[in-house]
Amino acid sequence: MYPQQVHSYLRQFFTENDCYIVGEEHHYLTVQLTVDIDKKIMNRPFYWQYVEATNSEPNPAQVTFITNQTASAGSLYGEVIHFGSPRMNQLFQATRELGAYVQMYEKVDTAIGQVILTPWLGVNYKVSYCCDRTKEMLYSFGINLLTGIIKEDFHETLFATELDTVPAEHVFHVQYIIKPIRGLQRLDAAIDAIIAQDDHSWATEAKKRWQRDQRVLDYFYEDVDDKPECYNIEKKALEEQYDAKIKIEIINGGLFYLY
Amino acid sequence: MKIERSSEWEEGFIKKLDHLEKWDSWTLYKMNYDIVKMKLITDFTGLQATKYLPNLKPLTHQLEAAETVIERMNGKAILADEVGLGKTIEAGLILKEYLIRGLVKRALILAPASLINQWIEELNIKFHIPAIAYKKNVPIERYDVLIMSMDTAKKSPHKERIYEQDYDMIIIDEAHKLKNHKTQIYEFVQSLKKKFCLLLTATPIQNDVFELFYLISLLKPGHLGNYDTFQSAFSASKHDLEHNDYLKELVNQVMVRNRREDTGIEWTNRRVQIVPIQFTKEEAEVYDLLGTLQNTGSFSLITLRKEMCSSKEATALTLSKMLEEDNAQSQEVEAILAKLMALEVNSKANKTLEIIEQAQDKVIIFTEYRATQIYLQWYLHSKGITSVLFNGKFNKNKRDYMKHLFKEKAQVLIATEAGGEGINLQFCHHVINYDLPWNPMKLEQRIGRVHRLGQEHDVHIYNLAIANTIEENILALLHTKIDVFEKVVGDLDAILSNFKESV
Repeated sequence: MYPQQVHSYLRQFFTENDCYIVGEEHHYLTVQLTVDIDKKIMNRPFYWQYVEATNSEPNPAQVTFITNQTASAGSLYGEVIHFGSPRMNQLFQATRELGAYVQMYEKVDTAIGQVILTPWLGVNYKVSYCCDRTKEMLYSFGINLLTGIIKEDFHETLFATELDTVPAEHVFHVQYIIKPIRGLQRLDAAIDAIIAQDDHSWATEAKKRWQRDQRVLDYFYEDVDDKPECYNIEKKALEEQYDAKIKIEIINGGLFYLY
Repeated sequence: MKIERSSEWEEGFIKKLDHLEKWDSWTLYKMNYDIVKMKLITDFTGLQATKYLPNLKPLTHQLEAAETVIERMNGKAILADEVGLGKTIEAGLILKEYLIRGLVKRALILAPASLINQWIEELNIKFHIPAIAYKKNVPIERYDVLIMSMDTAKKSPHKERIYEQDYDMIIIDEAHKLKNHKTQIYEFVQSLKKKFCLLLTATPIQNDVFELFYLISLLKPGHLGNYDTFQSAFSASKHDLEHNDYLKELVNQVMVRNRREDTGIEWTNRRVQIVPIQFTKEEAEVYDLLGTLQNTGSFSLITLRKEMCSSKEATALTLSKMLEEDNAQSQEVEAILAKLMALEVNSKANKTLEIIEQAQDKVIIFTEYRATQIYLQWYLHSKGITSVLFNGKFNKNKRDYMKHLFKEKAQVLIATEAGGEGINLQFCHHVINYDLPWNPMKLEQRIGRVHRLGQEHDVHIYNLAIANTIEENILALLHTKIDVFEKVVGDLDAILSNFKESV
C-alpha cells in the first residue's frame, strides 16, 4: 500500500464514518473523530470508562495523520501512519467491524418500466490452511434465494452493478423462498466441497515433518523408561507446530436484490 | 482434517435480518473486502513481513536467513551470524512473519538485562511489535510479547508465572549463556514449550563441542543423538573430534550462520596481530616467585599468574585477600607483596601507551580486571591521555553517557570484560586486548563492538601477550578452541592474528 493509497483510504474511511476532515494536504490529513471512531481506533479505554463513569462531556480526539513522511518537511506535528503501523491495523479492524453486513438494491433505469428484483445472499469467505506454514484463499459466493443457484466470484460481479441502500419506488422485489440462514448453510457446504476437492499435499508434508521430528525426539529419550515432563512438553509443542487444520472465516456478506 | 469455523458472522447476520441493528455502509463493505484481499497470504512460502515494514530496509542475508529458518528449519533454529550482522533484525523478521501469518500469538524473549531496552526499542519501533519488559507487577497475561532477563526468568516466583503462560515462540538472545546444561537457566528453558524457537549467538561454541551439543539439544533434542551416542559417534572429547564433516552438516540443518564476507557488503579489513612483550627482570622475578606458592584456598595460582601479567594492582588485591584469610604462607606472601609493590615499571602498560601514541586515534582497551582498569586510567592520565571507563554493570543511561564521552571527549575507552556486549562503537578502529580471556569467542565479541556494520575504516586488533608466562599457554589453547569451532561451525574471521599459526 503506497502512501497515496493510505491517504485515500483514510479520507474514505473517515468521511464514511462522519468524521469531519479539518485540514488536508497531499501528505497529511487532520480529522475530528466522532466518539464511536475514537473508541474504535484510539486505544484509550480508560479515558472512555472515566467519561462514562463521571458522566462528563466526551472529548473525542482530533488527530493529524501524516501519510507521507518524506514529503512532510518542516514542523508538522502528527502521527505517522503507513501500511503495517499499529494504527493502520486498528483502522483495518474497524473497517472489518463496520463493513460486515449490507442490504443493497440494484438501481434500475426507470425507462425500463416496472421491474422485479431477485434476492441473493452474497458471502465472502477467507479460508486458511494452517500447519507450521499458512496459505489463505478468498472465495466470494452468491446464492439465488429463489432458485438456489450458486455463483462464484460474486463480489466481483457486483462491481458492474450500481447499488443503493433503498429500493427505487417503481421497483418491486420478491421475498425470498430460501431463508437467508438456509442459504448460508448451502454456501458453507459449497465451501466445504471446494476444500474437499483441493490438493492437500501441504498437510501430508506437514505430517511428514512432524513424524520426522517426533522420531528425533523419541531417539533422545530412547533409553529413558520414565519419560520426564519435558518430553511431554516437547511432544505437545510438535503437535501444535505441525498439526494441520483449516480455518473458515466469513469476511462479510449481505442481501442483494438484483435485476 | 480439522476444520474450524466461527459462527460469529452468522450471529450478527441474524440480528440484522431481525431488524435489531442497522445494516452497514456499502463503501465500508467494499473497503473491507479490498483490504482482506490485499492482505491475503496466497502462498505457503515467501515473506509477508517486508510489506508491513516499509521503513525497515533489511539486508539480503537477513531476509535469506529469515526465509531459511521458516521454510527449511520450520521455525526452530540457531541464528549464529558473526557479531554485528543483525541477528536481532533476523529474529524480528521471523517473529513478525509468524505474527502476520497468525502462527504465533504470544512470544517470550529472554535476553541479558543490559539488552532488554534495546530489544523493546527495536521491536516496537522497527517492527511495530508491541513488546513490553517484564516487571513484577506487570499483568503478563495481558501482553502478547514479553521481554525479560534470563536471570529473572530462571528464579521463583517468576519462572512459575512464565510456565503458566502459553507462548508459541521463544527467542533467546546471547544463547551461549545456555552452554552449561547444569545451570538453572538451562533447566528453565528445557521445560519451556518451544513450538517455534530461536537461539541467537555469534558464538555457539566457546570452549568445546559439547556446548553446541547442549544448545542443539535444547532446540531439538535428539538431533545430535543423546549424550552417549553423540560422544561415541564423533569420538568427541573436549578439544578434539572425528567425523566433523558429518557433524557440520547436521549442525547446518538447524543453524544459520552468515559471515561478514558472505553478506555482499564491503567490509573493511581486520588487521590482527599478537604483540609479544618481555617482562623486565624485576617483573619476571615476582612472576616466578608467585609460582613457588602453594595452591591454597579460593585463590588459584593460575589467577595470580594471569593477574601478574595484567598489573601489580590486580595481583596485590588478590595477595592482600590471601593475607586476610588464615594462611600458612603469609610470610612468603608478604615477601612477594613487598617486591611487587616495589616494581616501578609495567611493561605491558608501557607497550599499550606506545600503541596508543602510534595510533593517534581512538582506542578501546579490554582488560579482565577492575584494578587494572583503574590503574590504566591513572597511568594514561599521567601521560596526558584522556580515558573513560566502561563496565557491564552500568545502566543504559550511564552506558550511553560513557559512549558519548568517548566519542566526543576522550581518546581511550577502558572496558572490563562485561563491557563487551551490546555497545556499538563503529567510530573507533583500534582494539587492544590487554588481557587475553580463556575463551576465543570473548575476543570475537570484543572485536565485534568495533568491526560491525557501519565501520568505515580498517580495524586494528592488538593481542598483548607476555613471553614465557601463562599468556603463552592461553594463546595455545585459544588456537585449539578456534580450530574446533571452525571444524564444526565454520570459518571465523581473524581473532588472534591474521596468520594461522601451528601451535
